[in-house]
Amino acid sequence: MEQIYDVMIVGGGPGGYTAAMYCARAGLHTVVLEKLSAGGQAALTEWIDNYPGFEEGIEGFTLGDKMRLGAERFGAETLYAEVTALSLEDRIKTAQTSEGPVKARAVILATGANPRTLNLPEEELLLGRGVHYCATCDGMFYKGKTVVVVGGGNSAAAEALVLSRIAKKVIVVHRRDHLRATKIYHEPLMKAENVEFRWNSTVEELLHDTKLFGVTLKDVNTGERTQVDCDGLFVSIGRNPNTELVQGVVTLDRGYVVADESTRTNIAGVFAVGDVRTKALRQVATAVGDGATASHYVEEYLAEH
Amino acid sequence: MAAIDINQEVFTKEVEQGTGMVLVDFWAPWCIHCRRIAPVLDQVAQKYEGRVPVLKVNIDEEPELARKYEIKRIPTLTVFRAGEALGSIEEPDSKAKIEALIEEYL
Repeated sequence: MEQIYDVMIVGGGPGGYTAAMYCARAGLHTVVLEKLSAGGQAALTEWIDNYPGFEEGIEGFTLGDKMRLGAERFGAETLYAEVTALSLEDRIKTAQTSEGPVKARAVILATGANPRTLNLPEEELLLGRGVHYCATCDGMFYKGKTVVVVGGGNSAAAEALVLSRIAKKVIVVHRRDHLRATKIYHEPLMKAENVEFRWNSTVEELLHDTKLFGVTLKDVNTGERTQVDCDGLFVSIGRNPNTELVQGVVTLDRGYVVADESTRTNIAGVFAVGDVRTKALRQVATAVGDGATASHYVEEYLAEH
Repeated sequence: MAAIDINQEVFTKEVEQGTGMVLVDFWAPWCIHCRRIAPVLDQVAQKYEGRVPVLKVNIDEEPELARKYEIKRIPTLTVFRAGEALGSIEEPDSKAKIEALIEEYL
């Protein structure tokens, strides 16, 4: 007989695996579809200091894997597969995956988000040839070199701090006249002797031969352009939700799945948790809350259908 | 069998002077993305056991190999046959992409 799960969860980050743990504990036959390994964006974060319960902080990768193990302990399954299409509108929902079709009575979207790009010509060509999106991933290539960080939020500030310990010089480029990052980042950044700021500026052009050697900055007030020599550029200007799979079916707002605290979407039996959902604060702690909440409404839905 | 860590000497013997197809993962301990794909590489090694060995080169310990093969981002996964680099991918974001690389040259 064809296997039909009670619930399938698309994405194995903190939101996905928390939902999996709660659903499995509720006795639901649960599968997580994960294309790489547990943890999502958190797994690419070197150290997580703001997830409660770990007073010394914890490695993002380790935290993600612990969440997987916690869910699997109660019987949740993980299928390492890339989802290529989702059919959500029928009572039995189907995912087409690299490992074949998977069916379930309810779906939790936990696909997360990815870094936003500058959208400059040749940005993709220079990926890894000077252009990067993750300092904790690629920062070590810039030991003793000069790097530019674009952005002014928490992620950009954290990236700049990581790089200040590796690179010779870090130039933070931000389109406003102050950081949007929370206060806790300001002092160490302002104190770091090798960090300088270019306020009210945007990156207009990537200067390169076979790899990046500089950028052209534009002053947003005066329009004045200046060239800055650098070996690397780290882009940290926010995220794009991973919602290509549900476009045209599930209601989106600026790319994010529209769902309130109940995590219910416009489609019956389809829920959204974590960074992919419309919400004010995208953190591991809030993703985990979504995951637990989703299980409650999934149970309620399955009891009625 | 899991993916196997190798050094320059083994690389020369198994990859450059070898005859069969191998998948090489150029990685480093500080690379978070490398950690993320490590469990997946073990699964891939198991799946292709007896057909395609999966070998890992730590570029911190073997910088010469990283220079020679112009590794600019890690993890870089390269398929070799008879010492020739046939194709590679950088920072794959799914197990499916790693398997697709192998299947392309198998």
